[in-house]
Amino acid sequence: MSLSRRDFLKFGSATAAGVAVAGEALDLAPVEAAATSLKIKEAKAVRSVCPYCAVGCGQLIYAKDGKIIDIEGDPDTPHTLGRLCPKGAATIQLSNNPLRPTKALYRAPGSDTWEEKPLDWMYDQIARRYYDAREKHFIEKEKNKDGLAVTVNRLDAIASLGSACADNEECYLLSKLNRTFGIVYHEHQARV
Amino acid sequence: MARTLAMFTDTSLCIGCRACQVACKQWNELGLELPEWTGTYQNHTHFTDKTFRLVRFIEEPKPSGDLAWLLMSDVCKHCADAGCLNACPTGAIYRTQFGTVNINQDVCNGCRYCVSACPFGVVSFNENTGTAKKCTFCNDRIHNGLGPACAKACPTESIQFGFRDELVGRAQKRVETLKAMGFKDAQLYGADSSGFLGGLNAFFLLLSKPSTYGLPENPKLPQKNIFVDSLLSIGSALLVGIGALVAFRQRGTGGEA
Repeated sequence: MSLSRRDFLKFGSATAAGVAVAGEALDLAPVEAAATSLKIKEAKAVRSVCPYCAVGCGQLIYAKDGKIIDIEGDPDTPHTLGRLCPKGAATIQLSNNPLRPTKALYRAPGSDTWEEKPLDWMYDQIARRYYDAREKHFIEKEKNKDGLAVTVNRLDAIASLGSACADNEECYLLSKLNRTFGIVYHEHQARV
Repeated sequence: MARTLAMFTDTSLCIGCRACQVACKQWNELGLELPEWTGTYQNHTHFTDKTFRLVRFIEEPKPSGDLAWLLMSDVCKHCADAGCLNACPTGAIYRTQFGTVNINQDVCNGCRYCVSACPFGVVSFNENTGTAKKCTFCNDRIHNGLGPACAKACPTESIQFGFRDELVGRAQKRVETLKAMGFKDAQLYGADSSGFLGGLNAFFLLLSKPSTYGLPENPKLPQKNIFVDSLLSIGSALLVGIGALVAFRQRGTGGEA
C-alpha cells in the first residue's frame, strides 16, 4: 500500500482528532465496574443460622456449582443486622477446610496412636459399645427412700454431649435416641 | 468521578473481637498465617500479603497508674496523596472511581517500590504471585453495591463505611461527644482533607495521640525527600572529588621534596 505524504497527514490528523474527542467523552467507570466481577453474583443464596452459640445470628450461604463459596451475615436478621463475630465469620471453614480430617480415625483404649478405619467399622463399633454398656449397666428398678422398688429404666453409664453445630432436627433425634436408651446425662455444649 | 467512599474506624467502639480481620481473610481468601505470641492479644504483629486488616491491642499507662486498653482496627488508609500510587512505575496501582487505591494484579511487575513508599507499612509483597498486595476496600464488593466485608461484619459499628463527607461530619460529632464524656485526648486521624497526605480515605478516631497507636504523627511520603537528598548526594560527590584532588596534590608535593 502506497501512502502519499498528503494522505498520511490527512489520516493522522483525523485519528488525533478522533482520539481527542473520544478521550473527552470517555468515562471508564462503567468499564471498570463491568470488569470487576463479584464472585457471589451468580451464586444461590440460602438463609441459615450460625451453628455456633445460642445467639443464633442469621447467615447467608452462597453456593455455586454445589459448593459453598461464601458465608456472611444476613442483613435481614433483626437482632444482628448482618453482623457476625469472628467465629461466625469463619463458618465457611466448616465445609471448605483443607485442614479438616476426612477419614475416620480410631485410637484403641491405652494406645497412643491413631489408625485409619473404614466408616462402616466405626458405626458397628459405636453400636456395639452402646449396646454392651447398656446391657451391663442398665438400671430397671431402684429402691426409693421408703424401701420400695420403683421402675426407673435408667442408664447412668453413658453421657451425651450435644454440639451447637447440630441443627434443630438433629437435636430432636438425638434427644429421642438418648431418652430411648434411658440416658439422663443429656447435656449440650452451649449450656456448659 | 463518583463521590469518594471512605471508612471511618471509631476506635472508642472497638471491642477487639477481630471479626473484621476474619471477615477480610474469608472474603479475600487470604489463607492462614501462623499466630505468634508477643505478650498481648494482638495477632499478627504487622500487615502482610495475607493480612489486610489488623486489630492492634495497645496498653497505655494512665496517670492514675492503671492501664488503658486501646484497641484499633488498622487498615490501608487509601490516602488522597498515596505514596504507593506515586511510586508505581507500571501504573498497576490506580485510583478507582470511588477514590480508593487499588492494585491491578495483572499489571503489577513486583518491583516493590510501593512497599517502601507507603508511610504506614501497609503494602506487602506476595512471594507466590510475585505481586504487591494490600487492602482494596473490597474492590469487587464496592463496585457491585456492597460494603467491604470488614465493615459489614463489625458487631459494634466501630468500622463505618460510606461517603467521605458524611462520615467526616459524623466523626466530628463523635469527637465532641467523647470530649464531653471526659476523653480529652479524643481526636481524628486523617479526616482533614487539607491535612497530611491530602486526607486519608480510611480515617480513625483515636483516644490518645497517634504515636501511641504506632501511627506517624505527621506522615510524609519518602518521595518528598528525593530533591533534597539528590542535592546532598551531588554536594557530597563534589566534596569527595575536591578532597581527592587535594589529597593527591599533597602527596605529589611530598614526593618531590
